[in-house]
Amino acid sequence: MPHNPRMTAPSPDAELMALIDRIGHRDEAALRQLYDRTAPRLMGLAMRVVRQREWAEDVLQESFLTIWRVAGDYRASLSPPLAWLGLIVRSRSLDLLRRRTADRAQLTQEFDELMADTFESDTPNPADMADASEQAWALHQCLSQLEGRQREVVSLAYLREMSHSELAEQLKLPLGTVKTWIRRGLEKLRTCMGRFA
Amino acid sequence: MNLLAHPELLELLAASHALGTLRGGARRRFETLAREQAPVRAAALVWQGRLAGMTELQQPVAPDPAVWTRIRNLIDAEQAQQALERQRDNAAPIAPASTGGWLRSLALWRGAAAAGALVAVLAVGVGLNLREQLINAPAVQYVAVLSDDKAAASMLVTFDPKKKQLVLQRVGSFREGADKSLQLWALPPGGAPRSLGVLDNAPALRLAASESDVRVPALAISLEPKGGVPSAGGPTGPVLFHGPLIEKTL
Repeated sequence: MPHNPRMTAPSPDAELMALIDRIGHRDEAALRQLYDRTAPRLMGLAMRVVRQREWAEDVLQESFLTIWRVAGDYRASLSPPLAWLGLIVRSRSLDLLRRRTADRAQLTQEFDELMADTFESDTPNPADMADASEQAWALHQCLSQLEGRQREVVSLAYLREMSHSELAEQLKLPLGTVKTWIRRGLEKLRTCMGRFA
Repeated sequence: MNLLAHPELLELLAASHALGTLRGGARRRFETLAREQAPVRAAALVWQGRLAGMTELQQPVAPDPAVWTRIRNLIDAEQAQQALERQRDNAAPIAPASTGGWLRSLALWRGAAAAGALVAVLAVGVGLNLREQLINAPAVQYVAVLSDDKAAASMLVTFDPKKKQLVLQRVGSFREGADKSLQLWALPPGGAPRSLGVLDNAPALRLAASESDVRVPALAISLEPKGGVPSAGGPTGPVLFHGPLIEKTL
């Protein structure tokens, strides 16, 4: 069982939750603090989904306006704060991709290039994990047990809401391979995540 | 099949559901089971939570500093709108009934957002050309495009801090009647609209203003009786144009 080095540190979740609560009470300074604290990470997520810097910045802008408007509902979601923020960004990113479906072809062309850098970059270093929730830490440990391309297929299926056949088409892999990788990937995650529960 | 008798299969289905790769009829059947059986629903929610961690694991990328400026401007404008709405609700007896709902209309909110985007583009344009402009042009630190309720740009407002001057240029086709005047308002956050002056009929006009006058998130123009109304009372006529005031970030 991997040791979690953050167990003894003060909870970053509590600080983020306090900021979100203040934003729910229309505290603009709190929004600024949350932005300073989380924008690079959320921008990284948006970039991963939409792949273009201007689009990702539009997503970030829309996401923080959403956060400003719905922060009061955060507590009811029962989510760790960073995961809640991440789900807002993922959702806004997918909205943008849907609005840009006409540009899908362009995305596909960029895909080979994208695969090259994502294979190298999809394992955050420990410093990047400082604010991550316990569940994200566990997922990180379990994903790192998957082989690189397998991990990539699972990640993209989730982050970009892609089906087996969309993944096969974009990654230029046989459909059967994609299905097998996802099934094995999920099987490994099931065994591994069960140990963290 | 009774999924509850096959815990590993239940977990895999729940994981595929949360991942998004469970599609079509299989997805619908799983969701029906989840609605009927709490343990299935619980497994689905557990996996949604587990995979949500994926959003936290991406490599950070620093956004451009202008992104925060855009967010702040849009939020300030939104709050100014709400302040104006409260103000107008309080002043309701004077306002014509036909304009009562304008602030709540979705079209107008979209318009405000579009105006914000337009101003952002404009501000960037101004920034790019700054070196040439510095030599012979006024120093423009604040800029606003005021739009009507169809988001059509109607008035370009710039502030020249050296001359302490607001410069307004009509860019739309609106012309007030001879018995009316347009009046420019600053919309401070949480406060009442403050008059910045009454506009005459000229296509471009200048109003004296200090920088503290224009340190507000948004401006609006209302249609008033000839000569305008006193600031203390706030606008009495319909607000024709409004938009966020952008402090340029360079």
